[in-house]
Amino acid sequence: MSVETYRFIKLTVGVLATLGLYSALYRENKFYRFFEHVFLGLAVGYAVVALWTETLYDLWWTKMMGSTAAVGQVATPGYWGWIVLLPIGLLGYFVFSSKNNWVSRIPIGIILGLWSGQQLQVWFTRYGPQMVKQMVPLLPTTSELFHPVTTGMTPAQVATVDSTVYVSQAITNIIVTVTFISVLSYFLFSFDLKNRFLKNATTLGRWLLMIGFGAIFGSTVMMRFTLLIDRMYFVWIEWLMKAILHK
Amino acid sequence: MDLLAQAGAGLNFWNAPSGSAELIIKIVLALVLSGAFFFGLIAAPANLRRPIVGVFTFLAGLFYVTYWLWPSAIARDPGQAPLNPVEGVAFWLEDALPQVANFSNILTAFLLGLGVYSVARIHVGKLVKRQRDWEFSLVLIASMLLMILFGYWNWFNRHSPTGGLLEDPANWHFQQFASDMLFDGLLQQMDAAMFSMIAFYILSAAYRAFRIRSVEATILLAAALIVMLSLMGAVAYKWGNNSFIQTHPNLSLEAIAGWLSDNVQTPSIRGIDFGVGIGSLAMGLRIWLNLERQEAS
Amino acid sequence: MATPDSSIGAKLQSLPRTLLYLILLLATSLPLIYGELAGGVSVPNQPLGAAVDFYAALMKIPPGKTVLLETDWTNSTRGENGGEFDAILRILMARGIKFAVFSTADPQAPQVAMDDIATINALRVQKGQKAYVRWTDWVNLGYFPNSEGTLNALAGNLATAFNGKKDVKPGGGLVDVFESPVLKGYTKLTDIPAVILVTASATSTVMIERLSGKVPLDFMVTGVMGPETQVYYSSKQLEGLVIGLKGVYDLETLMKQGLNGQGPDAVPSQKYAGLDVPPVNDNLGTGKGSAYYPTLHFALALLILAVIVGNVGMLLTRKRTAQ
Repeated sequence: MSVETYRFIKLTVGVLATLGLYSALYRENKFYRFFEHVFLGLAVGYAVVALWTETLYDLWWTKMMGSTAAVGQVATPGYWGWIVLLPIGLLGYFVFSSKNNWVSRIPIGIILGLWSGQQLQVWFTRYGPQMVKQMVPLLPTTSELFHPVTTGMTPAQVATVDSTVYVSQAITNIIVTVTFISVLSYFLFSFDLKNRFLKNATTLGRWLLMIGFGAIFGSTVMMRFTLLIDRMYFVWIEWLMKAILHK
Repeated sequence: MDLLAQAGAGLNFWNAPSGSAELIIKIVLALVLSGAFFFGLIAAPANLRRPIVGVFTFLAGLFYVTYWLWPSAIARDPGQAPLNPVEGVAFWLEDALPQVANFSNILTAFLLGLGVYSVARIHVGKLVKRQRDWEFSLVLIASMLLMILFGYWNWFNRHSPTGGLLEDPANWHFQQFASDMLFDGLLQQMDAAMFSMIAFYILSAAYRAFRIRSVEATILLAAALIVMLSLMGAVAYKWGNNSFIQTHPNLSLEAIAGWLSDNVQTPSIRGIDFGVGIGSLAMGLRIWLNLERQEAS
Repeated sequence: MATPDSSIGAKLQSLPRTLLYLILLLATSLPLIYGELAGGVSVPNQPLGAAVDFYAALMKIPPGKTVLLETDWTNSTRGENGGEFDAILRILMARGIKFAVFSTADPQAPQVAMDDIATINALRVQKGQKAYVRWTDWVNLGYFPNSEGTLNALAGNLATAFNGKKDVKPGGGLVDVFESPVLKGYTKLTDIPAVILVTASATSTVMIERLSGKVPLDFMVTGVMGPETQVYYSSKQLEGLVIGLKGVYDLETLMKQGLNGQGPDAVPSQKYAGLDVPPVNDNLGTGKGSAYYPTLHFALALLILAVIVGNVGMLLTRKRTAQ
């Protein structure tokens, strides 16, 4: 079988599988369920392969067993201590035991502990620059309304213009600050509020939050439609037009 | 300490030459002793179970907290000896960091196997007991076994000294074609098809549920509309292709969407992000210090 | 028994589900077929600042250097991440920049990336260009299930974070990746000019938390992740950012036109005024962004129309009820 013939068969199988799954859009049927189970089986099977070939073989087995000298390579000793991870990992499988399932919390606890120990360290790396970004000047340093066009200015003049807070920029900065604080207050003061100012601030926060959610909705729609367009491209262009009609 | 640091290539108590009887004996002994210890924990009395889990969690987290708080070594040269005990600990922490990462990768890989075991357990059970729809369980198990068979077969071939030749499909054998068909021909295409179906549901849901019934819904719809229109280059071009917009570029669709994105959308999402950040920091501390209220058994 | 409401308002609000599905299928199929038959449809485009920064950052990496390419996507997001990955591969290959691929999100991701590299390589060979050779020009570092630990180790030390990883050396079986021309001599993270992440998952946040400020980061994310990732671009924790299909189209426009070039389609950039950021003339044809972007217009227009129809139906029904 030539590589070209194989590629055509592969594309056709992919199209059949796609149609099989799409048949659920009409209603659930056996054709769909067949491909659904093939999909799950292959995904699970590949996980078994990849967890060893992409991860455990290099990171665990080779480090534990070491390697002997080969052409152009240096021998490395094996570190027997890595074997200890096997019984720890196996404890996780006690999750199915009705009597001793508590021991499965030991490996899970270790993973969670490793995660939680990093939280202090990573918090400042993640939020520090954002705090800096959020500190913006709210008062203008000039009575001029707009930032002038800097084309044709000398670098010194551009620097002066850039360090000046114009009225329009100050207004924008106030909007940025009010948005941030009101959204944050909406989250922090999620209980029943008596204070009228805080109540209004959280209402404003909810409205401004909707702008964020609207943008997220718009971007999400773009993504979902793109994934469908990609499938249609696979079926109509890659398979029908290029592989069958040779357009 | 050499166990975690694994700094030098020299031989010590924690290692042995590859393929040697010494290494095998050490591995078997370590397996037996650690197995006896960890499986022995099963017999722990009920009142000790929570502290046991807590100790393991705390020790795991302690490494990273120490790594963060301990003064780190500056401009360390390879092979340099520490000047004092404080620097010695700093060197050790630095050397141990990748080993701890390795530790977390291996343990996570073992735990990911749990998902595989769970799926296999359910479907083998259905198959053996001939429960309803057992035929589909058979399909699942058969697909899984075929992927495992051809996946490993392909991997062994590719990692042989002549494996480099298999980069060219002209040199493929049956097992390479089978592995590629299962992975790229079926699994990946179905992965794409499965997720692309959401587009249909999102259109249907938007049509049925996206109604201007409140201030919030109106703001959300208006923001979504501006973003969607700005994502359509042809619409943005048409909008801006007149003398009014050309003399007032701040009113172009891209400029409006950009202003909204920079000055309202980003700070509002940052507000959400800060809320999440404070929550995850609190949760991290609660987990690490074992302050969660649930029972361990 | 209540009779079903047969008013226009009610009808507008109850179009059959299958009809909507069918229209969406047509809206996403016909423009694609037309575009293919017409040899491509060009849509006017003004690349976003984040994509311009991404392109400019990549174009300043010296040829011969190695970048880390974290690939955390599978075909489930091929429509967006596939286009992004193709674009980044084409830029790196055209500029002779080496890369080391790894994943911390999905066991399938490294194989998907390798299949994509093979596809772009086949295209290069077909166009008479040099294939990018595994081991010499790029290596696969594999899958690391614990993203947090791996990236924390990477922040500490590049060489020890990937210590022990092996890849296939032509004629030599599995050999330590630090013996390859791609990573030989690289020890610290700061030796790397950039870490590029193509992702459909939360590994973007994990990377920001551990690597930001230590090495230039350039992200390519899906549309759904766009707004949340924009926050980090805005705080300058990211050097450049490509978001979804629009981002891919932006990048492909820049690859075709360069920055501040000449001609009617030139992409002007005041930020990079005076800098020569040329196009990438790899002659490999149009990418996924150019192929899909015109069709996106029809799909988005359909959604907007569907929402309008639903709302008009609601208003008509309300008016009728009020009367």
